[in-house]
Amino acid sequence: MVTPSGTRSSRSLGRALVLLAVAVLFLGAFQLALVLPTAGADRWVHLLFVGVFWVYAAAGLMAWWRRPSNRMGALILVGGFALFTGSLANTGVPVLTALGTITATAVLAVAFHLLHAFPSGRLRSRASRLTVVAGYLVALVLQAPLYLFDPAAPAPLAVADRPDLLGLGVVVQRSAGLAVAVATTVVLARRLLRADAAHRRVLGPLFAYGIVAVLLIPAGSTLFEAVLGMPATVRAGVQAALLGGIPVAFALGVLRGGFARTGELEELGAWLGATDGARPAPAPALRRALGDESLDIVFWMPESRTWADSSGAPAHLPAPGGERSGVDVEVGGRRVGAIVYDASLIGDPELVRSAGRVVAIAVERERLTAELLASQAALLTSRARLVAAADRERRRIAQDLHDGLQVQLVLLALEAQQVANGSGSTITREQVTSLRKGIDDAAGDLRRLVHDVMPSTLIEHGLSAATEDLVDRMPVPTRLHLGITDGALPEAIESTAYFVVAEGLANALKHSRAAAFTVRIERRGDRLLVQVDDDGVGGASFHAGRGLRGLADRVEVVNGRLEMQSHAGRGTRLRAELPCVL
Amino acid sequence: MRVVIGEDEALLRQGLTLVLEQEGFDVVAAVPDAGQLLDAVARHRPDLVVTDIRMPPTHTDEGLVAALRIRSEHPDSAVVVLSQYVQRRYALELLTNRPGVGYLLKQRIADVEAFCADLRRVAAGGTALDPEVVDVLVKRARLARDDLARLTRRQREVLSLMAEGRSNAGIASRLVVTEKAVVQHSSRIYEALGLPVAVDDHRRVLAVIRYLAR
Repeated sequence: MVTPSGTRSSRSLGRALVLLAVAVLFLGAFQLALVLPTAGADRWVHLLFVGVFWVYAAAGLMAWWRRPSNRMGALILVGGFALFTGSLANTGVPVLTALGTITATAVLAVAFHLLHAFPSGRLRSRASRLTVVAGYLVALVLQAPLYLFDPAAPAPLAVADRPDLLGLGVVVQRSAGLAVAVATTVVLARRLLRADAAHRRVLGPLFAYGIVAVLLIPAGSTLFEAVLGMPATVRAGVQAALLGGIPVAFALGVLRGGFARTGELEELGAWLGATDGARPAPAPALRRALGDESLDIVFWMPESRTWADSSGAPAHLPAPGGERSGVDVEVGGRRVGAIVYDASLIGDPELVRSAGRVVAIAVERERLTAELLASQAALLTSRARLVAAADRERRRIAQDLHDGLQVQLVLLALEAQQVANGSGSTITREQVTSLRKGIDDAAGDLRRLVHDVMPSTLIEHGLSAATEDLVDRMPVPTRLHLGITDGALPEAIESTAYFVVAEGLANALKHSRAAAFTVRIERRGDRLLVQVDDDGVGGASFHAGRGLRGLADRVEVVNGRLEMQSHAGRGTRLRAELPCVL
Repeated sequence: MRVVIGEDEALLRQGLTLVLEQEGFDVVAAVPDAGQLLDAVARHRPDLVVTDIRMPPTHTDEGLVAALRIRSEHPDSAVVVLSQYVQRRYALELLTNRPGVGYLLKQRIADVEAFCADLRRVAAGGTALDPEVVDVLVKRARLARDDLARLTRRQREVLSLMAEGRSNAGIASRLVVTEKAVVQHSSRIYEALGLPVAVDDHRRVLAVIRYLAR
């Protein structure tokens, strides 16, 4: 149950994030190397933008590392790259400048995305998804007129000098952007209204800051200049600060406070709210919500005071201090199960505990099922034990008769013969010889009895020899197909297979009036096929004889299947399928 | 005649030793398992080995394995294998081209006279196959093929006794007929079943058994 997969994935995640960090540092340095030599007084603006890029990347990587199950980290990082490509417009390298022009406002779309996706990193409603898609369209598609019709745009991008279309494009993009901002505000406001007071206190300022930031950044150029009379460099500084605040705020939101928990638990809540039929087991829901694929739930069996898995099989809690941890799930102060998770992936047991509280009732329900399965398994085991005990007893009786009574009968007969040989009287001699023959007959009967109880051939030489022997002594022509390797099957399977053949042949002999029998024992993959056919009158009933019912029990106990096909006039087939491994 | 006995049941081992000594056999060793049996045979080089098929440690077919080894390593020692229960498979395994083997039910010991006659026959290079195995073989062959049905009842009796390894004289005394009558019966049997005419008793047994087990 305990696998190191969680640790392995966290290690490979760590390596990937380190690589990303190196790439980010390199990209930033690359941009600086391009712009700084030619930049004049506003070189600190370039420094500032690369700095903000690095802030995004650092915040995103940190959130990703600490909350691998949460997509906010990745999204913040995407925002960083959007900012980076947007700022490439200042490099003076034609291709990079073009790329920067195209993606100039992409970071704003990512900011909208972040607002909608907070705190889990996933878009949870249709309205959110639509708004975010609209945001990306505004930033990437509606941006086009701004460079297509602007002669000042980099060479390959400008197709015509159409100030009218350019002006229209600006208006359309601004209005659409505003609409996206309004829609976002509505969605977030509704979410705020639904949140409880504690969350509202944190969500409110975060959402407000986000909305203000995404509105101010594009509007800023005009607003700050016209109203506040700021110089260009100061404007750029304010914009950069507003932009840089976004990743920091969101990363803090993800890492601190109850938001990680809220995001994950919200999913669990949605899972709980699903209709009963559609609701899958709690373990997969927890795995998804907590982002630990190795997570599992074990159930407490109060009667035996042990743990069991969902199939009722015995399970164990990981030892404390290891890479895996267990957290109890309780219903009304009573322990019902435990969540076993990868402690190196989820650092905070309190998070798991709260998730456990959400799914506690569902865990209790599963626990009852597991308990039922466990008791069913116990029942099966006890039946198997009964059959095994009966087999052992048969073996013991056969062995005792074999070693004790049979030997004694040989010795008795021997003694009788000695007496006969030593006697002078012919009459006594004849009498004692007939006594000896009587003892021989008794020994013969005993031999057959022992054979019926548990053939020594089966114990000593295995299934194929015993079946061969059985078929040898059939008074009806019997074909035998043997497709097994001696010694490859468990004892219980061999004896069950043997008794299927013995019972099948005995029944056929008694009722079928057949002219020929066929016995087939062969291995098919991991199943053993045992089949007795006759060409007799058919119409046999499975429930007719005690023998067959007992046989069905025996077959079932080893997880096999016994079936009978018997149509009047078309012969009878008794067929058992047994597992080759117990 | 020098005999080595292999039998794990102490009482039976003693009884067998006693009976054979009374009947004039020289029992040079009587041991309880297959390992000691092989040792004793290597040491004493007996004329005859009488062994239980089922012996420690596995209580399966050690006696049979030991018997086959003795037959190949010490061709001068004949072997009679005793068993509580006889099986066609083991009879066929024992009956190799080399003569001097027997496979009998343990219960046959009690009929001391017949038992000792069987032992002597095997020691002399003959064969002794238990009537119960022969019975299984004959019944099986009768179910599987038609040509046995062409034999008369008496001929089938002769066939069975031939399969047990008996000589014409032995068959004659068993059926209370003349040896000449037995010879006539057997030549008709050969003809009906298409058996090759065998030069000695052992080859005759082999031919008959091979026919029956076909």
